[in-house]
Amino acid sequence: MNIFNRIKQLCGGKTREEVPFKILFAEFKKSLELNNQILDLIADANDKLSGDYIFDEQYIQSTCRQLTDLIRQLIVTINHLTDQKYTDLYTSFHKIEEEIEALLRGQALNQVKDLILPYNEVSRDLADSVGGKNAHIGEIGSLLDLRIPAGFAITTAAFALFLDENNLRDRILAIRRRWQDCEIAVDDASRQIRQAIMSGEVPKKLKDEMLAAATYISSQYTETTPCFAVRSSAIGEDEISSFAGQYLSRLNIPLDEIPQAYKEVIASLYSPEAMEYRLMMDFRSHEIMMAVACQLMIPARASGVLYTYDPVRPEQETMVISSAWGLGEPIVSGEVPTDTFILDRRPPHEVREMRIVRKDETMVLRGCGGLAIDGVAEEQRTEPSLKSEQLHDLARAGMQLEKYFKRPQDIEFAIDPRDQVIILQSRQLQLQQARAPRACDLSGLGGKYRILLRGRGTAAMEGIATGPAWVYTEGRDLADFPMGGILVARHATPQLARVIHRATGFITDVGSTTGHLATVAREFRVPALFNTENGTEVIEDGREITLDTECLTIYEGIVQELQYYAIQEEPIEEMYEYRLLRRVLKKIEPLNLTDPEADNFTPEGCRTYHDLTRFVHEKAVETIIDLNFYHAHHKSTQAGQLLWDYPLDLILIDVGGGISGEHEKGIRPEQITCVPMQALLRGMSYPGIWDMAPAGVDFSSFMSSLTRTSSVRSTSPEDVGRNLAVVSAEYTNINFRLGYHFTVIDAYVSDNILDNHIYFRFSGGVTETVRRDRRTRLLAKILSHYDFLCELHGDIVVARLKRMDKGRMLHRLFLLGLLVGFTRQLDVKMVSESTIDTFFEEIRTIMEKEHGRE
Amino acid sequence: MEENKTSILILDDEPIVSKRLKPSLEKKGYEVEAFTTSKEALERIEERQFDIVVTDLKMEGVDGMQFLTRVKEKYPDTEVIVITGFATMATAKESFNKGVFDFLAKPFKLGEIADVIARAEARKKGGK
Repeated sequence: MNIFNRIKQLCGGKTREEVPFKILFAEFKKSLELNNQILDLIADANDKLSGDYIFDEQYIQSTCRQLTDLIRQLIVTINHLTDQKYTDLYTSFHKIEEEIEALLRGQALNQVKDLILPYNEVSRDLADSVGGKNAHIGEIGSLLDLRIPAGFAITTAAFALFLDENNLRDRILAIRRRWQDCEIAVDDASRQIRQAIMSGEVPKKLKDEMLAAATYISSQYTETTPCFAVRSSAIGEDEISSFAGQYLSRLNIPLDEIPQAYKEVIASLYSPEAMEYRLMMDFRSHEIMMAVACQLMIPARASGVLYTYDPVRPEQETMVISSAWGLGEPIVSGEVPTDTFILDRRPPHEVREMRIVRKDETMVLRGCGGLAIDGVAEEQRTEPSLKSEQLHDLARAGMQLEKYFKRPQDIEFAIDPRDQVIILQSRQLQLQQARAPRACDLSGLGGKYRILLRGRGTAAMEGIATGPAWVYTEGRDLADFPMGGILVARHATPQLARVIHRATGFITDVGSTTGHLATVAREFRVPALFNTENGTEVIEDGREITLDTECLTIYEGIVQELQYYAIQEEPIEEMYEYRLLRRVLKKIEPLNLTDPEADNFTPEGCRTYHDLTRFVHEKAVETIIDLNFYHAHHKSTQAGQLLWDYPLDLILIDVGGGISGEHEKGIRPEQITCVPMQALLRGMSYPGIWDMAPAGVDFSSFMSSLTRTSSVRSTSPEDVGRNLAVVSAEYTNINFRLGYHFTVIDAYVSDNILDNHIYFRFSGGVTETVRRDRRTRLLAKILSHYDFLCELHGDIVVARLKRMDKGRMLHRLFLLGLLVGFTRQLDVKMVSESTIDTFFEEIRTIMEKEHGRE
Repeated sequence: MEENKTSILILDDEPIVSKRLKPSLEKKGYEVEAFTTSKEALERIEERQFDIVVTDLKMEGVDGMQFLTRVKEKYPDTEVIVITGFATMATAKESFNKGVFDFLAKPFKLGEIADVIARAEARKKGGK
């Protein structure tokens, strides 16, 4: 709708002008209050994923319902405020609410509707749609920096589509019934079902998507043969080992034969063995599904299997690698003799034993479309099939996978023509000896091992970690951080997340469990203990240590009892409640609407509760400005734009005694009679604070985009200023959006101490998380120093102050002015840790100069 | 050796509570038994005394209040710690009237309950 229509609508209706500003403003403030409650609740829910809390399903349900309730109120509020302009929000809201409710009821376990999912979009949470094999390999490729085959998953939705379009469900069911009623033998039933599947047509949509995905992958890897492996990735296959061998894999399939191979693979779901197994296990029809993995074929030089523990002698602390030349199929099935390498589990993973056998035959690709058994070149027959670098890379990959999945791993790999290690599959390895200690055997460890630290710290991610300590000090290069090390640092700064792929643990003296590093540690499941106070002092660089976050204990040396205990225990993040919380948070926490100018910044574009919250906040501020500035309907209010030397587009709305004199052409600072606003502007305009100088060539355009919320090109009021201050003689409520920073200040200052309050909330920023985190800590340091009660939720800073005398309140509003003016540049200027102290001192000096020591 | 250990009974119908709490407390050197139904827990209480009892209040088909009342009747010196997701002032007050040592609202941190248990243990030892 263009602006003229909007004005017409706003002026034409009699409704808006009759609503007193007081009521609208109360609605507006309510929306802010709801906004804050929602964001805090979301941050707290994420914190529960640290594993440090005991929570149950009840908690997840009540949190979701609380959020749902708050969001509903928020939408009601914005519609009151805008005369029902955003009723479309209800549609998006109900959709999200329904999805969350379905998850809470245990339904729709992440069943996707996509037929095809590329590996970079696949994770374990999608196992119900893509099968275990795809889910694991996708997660390895996207979260750990290991190589996996290029490929995509064909989902259970594709399987369902295939059955439906070919009307196969009833036919299969009928055949199964006849078999179960003993009318036909299992072999007959199996053959009939497989024939029915093979005579079906792959639906056109599915075929097109398969071929498009495969063609895209081929185009990315032109130097290799564009042939594919089409493998089963059945639901639950990796968990039920007796199932794994039952299904078909088709290798070296040319692109145009993929649909045919797909049918063959899904038909193998009905092998006689699998059918009998499912009958025994009482599988229901809707549980019999298959997803399929389609991977670019790797013309492997060598292939093999790695066990991260020797399954029969785990106490040897070794890993075992078996390998031979060529493709892996005959190696995995034990058809050819293999070389065996025994390596130390601990870095640098020395080779303890090597048994090289004579390898006469190998399986190779025969052009595109076939396989052949070939003779091995004479000189290679007695050569080791793996080079020492490859052994080392494999060992590192193995430890990484074990650390990530928190279980000993059984890994299939290939060595590609460029001698690189490719991970084909990783699953849990069953150790033969149940020799892990029980929890109650662990209480006496303190007598056996030296304790470096106990009873201090907060677990940002639960778990047990062992490895060499690497103490980070400023200036030390994180690139030198060793594989398998435990990072020990003063602050839990986001930049430390750079070593996430190599670290087995994090320990910091100071840190927030809702900060970026904590979130990353949770995502990558790396145990992390923050706030140990003096970890950096008591832990010696280079020493091996063991971290147990649950007991808040750090031991000197490797505590093997804990190590064995850890791989035996079910990782907490695998527990149902954790999985459920992660699932519902996906519908709640992500923010897709980051740019108010973007096309998706609409009610329909809202896909999560966070999106809805963000959208409403933006529109609430915009509405108050629109109604009171561009169309001054309220006789009780006056509005105008601040005329200032600084590039701040601020709309002031006076609800009583906040502005004096005439203001048709704008409001000059000296016309402001609102006491708290005066103090704030004095701070914001303090010499040097509002840095007008260009901040360096690369930042100049960036900075200019920050300083003006309006675009100079445009005169449309909708694009102009979203900075709003509602003022009266003693009160102000301010909403700033300076670029991507959001600041809310609500202050009342009078002679009555009991009524005085200041509320300050700051969030956002476009620079990388490291500097944002420094800014957050700087703000918290300054505000706490000046008596504010500070709360940090991620990079949101909330500060409150109450019941102080007028003079001190105004000093603090001056301070907030300094900070608002200053923080515009802070993100980009906070280039090192030491800047926190420098800026803190700078601000304190100004404060003392202005107001003296308090 | 078991004689010296402080014994703890946990009752909560949500399995995750015992699953997380039991090993965590065992690692700290406590002897722990965990139950998800009050029937089993009541039977166990008739057989032996525990130094500390940790119980939920509102459970499906179970009344934690009845359970803790029985515990305090039979063993007045057993310290009872209540954990619950539906904390109201009324229930808190009622449990304190029954002689409950402390009251924790779910969700709580492992460290928080460990502290409460340590305090209960100290009081018990001091009282002897």
